Amino acid sequence: MRKADSVRQLILIAFALALMLTLACPGARAQTSAAPPAASVDNGKKIFSRAGCYACHGMQGEGTNLAPAIAPPPLELPAMIGYLRKPTGKMPAVPVAAASDQQLGDIYAFLKSLAPASNSESLTGNADNGKKLFASYGCYQCHGHQGAGAATAPRIAATALSLAGVIRYVRAPTGQMPPYASKVVSDQDLADIYAFLKTFPLPAPASSIPLLNQ
Amino acid sequence: MRKSKNDSVNRRDFLKAAATGTAAAAALAAAPAAAAAAPARNAAPPPLLKLADAAPANVEVLTVDRPGSDFMVDVLKSLDFEYLCANPGNSFRGLHESLINYGGNQRPEFITCCHEESSVGMGHGYAKIEGKPLLVCVHGTVGLQHASMAIYDAFCDRVPVYIILGNFSDAALRFGQVDWTHSAQDPAAMIRDYVKWDDNPLSLQAFAESAVRAYKIATTPPMMPVALVAGHELQEDPVPDGANVSVPKLTMTSPPTGDSGAVAEAARLLVAAENPVLVTDRVARTPAGLARMIELAELLQAPVVDRNGRMNFPTRHPLNHTERAGATIAGADLIAGLELTDFWSTVNSVRGQVSPTWRPSTKPGAKLISVTANDLYLKSNYQDFQRYTPVDLAIAADAEATLPSLIEAVKRQITDDRKRAYADRGAKHAAAHEQAMQAAREAATSGWDASPISTARMSAELWAQIKNEDWSLVSNCQFQSRWPLRLWDFNKHYHYIGAEGGYGVGYGAPASVGAALANRKHGRLTVSIQNDGDLMFAPGVLWTAAHSRIPILILMHNNRAYHQELMQIQIMADRHNRGITRAGIGNILDDPAIDYAKLAQSMGMHGEGPINDPKDLGPAIRRAIEVVKSGHPALVDVLTQPR
Repeated sequence: MRKADSVRQLILIAFALALMLTLACPGARAQTSAAPPAASVDNGKKIFSRAGCYACHGMQGEGTNLAPAIAPPPLELPAMIGYLRKPTGKMPAVPVAAASDQQLGDIYAFLKSLAPASNSESLTGNADNGKKLFASYGCYQCHGHQGAGAATAPRIAATALSLAGVIRYVRAPTGQMPPYASKVVSDQDLADIYAFLKTFPLPAPASSIPLLNQ
Repeated sequence: MRKSKNDSVNRRDFLKAAATGTAAAAALAAAPAAAAAAPARNAAPPPLLKLADAAPANVEVLTVDRPGSDFMVDVLKSLDFEYLCANPGNSFRGLHESLINYGGNQRPEFITCCHEESSVGMGHGYAKIEGKPLLVCVHGTVGLQHASMAIYDAFCDRVPVYIILGNFSDAALRFGQVDWTHSAQDPAAMIRDYVKWDDNPLSLQAFAESAVRAYKIATTPPMMPVALVAGHELQEDPVPDGANVSVPKLTMTSPPTGDSGAVAEAARLLVAAENPVLVTDRVARTPAGLARMIELAELLQAPVVDRNGRMNFPTRHPLNHTERAGATIAGADLIAGLELTDFWSTVNSVRGQVSPTWRPSTKPGAKLISVTANDLYLKSNYQDFQRYTPVDLAIAADAEATLPSLIEAVKRQITDDRKRAYADRGAKHAAAHEQAMQAAREAATSGWDASPISTARMSAELWAQIKNEDWSLVSNCQFQSRWPLRLWDFNKHYHYIGAEGGYGVGYGAPASVGAALANRKHGRLTVSIQNDGDLMFAPGVLWTAAHSRIPILILMHNNRAYHQELMQIQIMADRHNRGITRAGIGNILDDPAIDYAKLAQSMGMHGEGPINDPKDLGPAIRRAIEVVKSGHPALVDVLTQPR
């Protein structure tokens, strides 16, 4: 194993341990009652620090060579919680025993508070216009006419990404997708396309489709 | 050898003599006297027209009893070609006539093609099913120019196609402007970079020997197309009296196998590895190759990542890890590439932004083994050999032919301890395979009811109709997001034949029809998912299928675009920040939309569609299959998602 990989592995292990121990600590755990309290940016900041999230994602969630940027959160909260419970790649899992949904919500609020100035919060998407733009801008070429995805690009219909996450990725993608500058596609255009993609329901499970069980 | 009864001077000598001003002498005297009657070197040329007028009518050669092309047919029949695919051309008219009359139009049987690209493409698809070439005849210059892209595809795909190329070699015997225009000094020069061998024999005996040699060369791995020039005069002149011509015996060359020491070392590395991975591309040429790949993988309990150049490994086998290729290769400590065309991209990943950037996709220290016949024979000019990849052990040999000795070597080296370790990892691989299959099924649900129809839905609808038949998918799956390979149960060598090899669009339709031609006698249900842009290069092959009663179900993947290029232009437009609404210019096949059902009907085929509602697709496929089962081709036009 190369030295850099060894270091990376150790950091991940340390992160996972810190996350488990810190989030399991009663002092850090949110005292939940029947109705979950509003997310606490301050508590999220403390957990983010104690759990060592910064080790891979950076102090401001800006991303490092070990892990991507997460401020503003690229996923919507439920999707982020789902991902943390069952991550892919090198991200260690965060079981409920280690962190409640409330605590993860606090981290989410903290990450949102770190976001660079963005007007994504104030944008309101128009799904009808987004449908037109999705076609005229050629999004369908790789993602399919309904955003269902293909070998060329993933499904983006009913996306779990937040609008801020979409805007950030489109401006500076990390994979084969070309970057789209605001000169070409404005934030408002993306908000409209995002609204269009949100009109689609999640696909039915394969088990419910006989043709996929033959 | 008999000649025509009134033939005192053969046509060739007569015309040669006329061209040198000795026609009258040749006509008036016996042939041997012609040379003696040649004018003195400095003599003024005789008035040709006057001499020609003076020639007695009864010396004009009107018939030939046994032309050289008959002997050529004897030679070609000895090679046992089932079919001849050709678009007619007068540079091989003599051979054409001999094949259909003297040869009885049997073995080979003439298959009329509407484009030389179709002729070669059919030969390409046929060979991948049947394991041997068919014969293609190509007209000089223009015909070969039409054929050239298809020849390049077959060359890149390492497939034997046997080409006979007509030419008016002797300039003195060309009849007029067209013959000159369709002649070349070195006819095969334009394809020499992408055929394995070519020759331009000047006598019938040389033709016979070169014909047999060409067959051996084409069918010895690495297999490739070959071209043999058949001179117009060699075809049409009679076989000379007393000529000592004979058909040489064909002895097939055994395929090159790996050096025993190198094979033993490969076995040692494979047995010792904790996470070996077998990456296949064009390894299984025959049913035996497929069986041996299964045996090797199961022996080692090693996962297989299939690049699908051939039907190398069953898709539902627990050790098939193609669906999780990235993770499998990333976790490997040893990767064995078996007839792997592009080893570099297998062990590196690229990010294709303004400048492509590469990074290794393997663990540091992972060992690489290569077994390929490509190490035995490469050409220089065209760059199909891909980026050079440093490996730890390179075995220059045909991988399929090497598998038996590799398997035996592995068996000799496996200990009981290793067997126990293999059993453990096999169980993990089986679980990972099932997980990947389930993930594919879940991914297929996305856009399930969409219109245009998703390629996953189209594939699933087709599978439902053919899964209980003896089927053969003869089209490339790449442009349908590989859905058939992800959803269907491929387990026989004819279930899949890979792609075009050279990525030359226009391969799909003729190769599918050629493969269907090979499948016909086996009674298999041939199906093809046909890309719309590909079909439009030479749609006349639909007529060939109808005319020759070649049963095939063609399901149009009609996304109404040259979609790959559409995406490329989108990337450029985006990169240049000049707006992204005009990428369709030059790429979209719409306005008017092409009606493929009517196109098929116009060629004499069953045609149905366009179908845009997924609910209508299954019944349409069923109707088309009934037509195919009656021995005819059928086409269903499906409006589809882009990929």
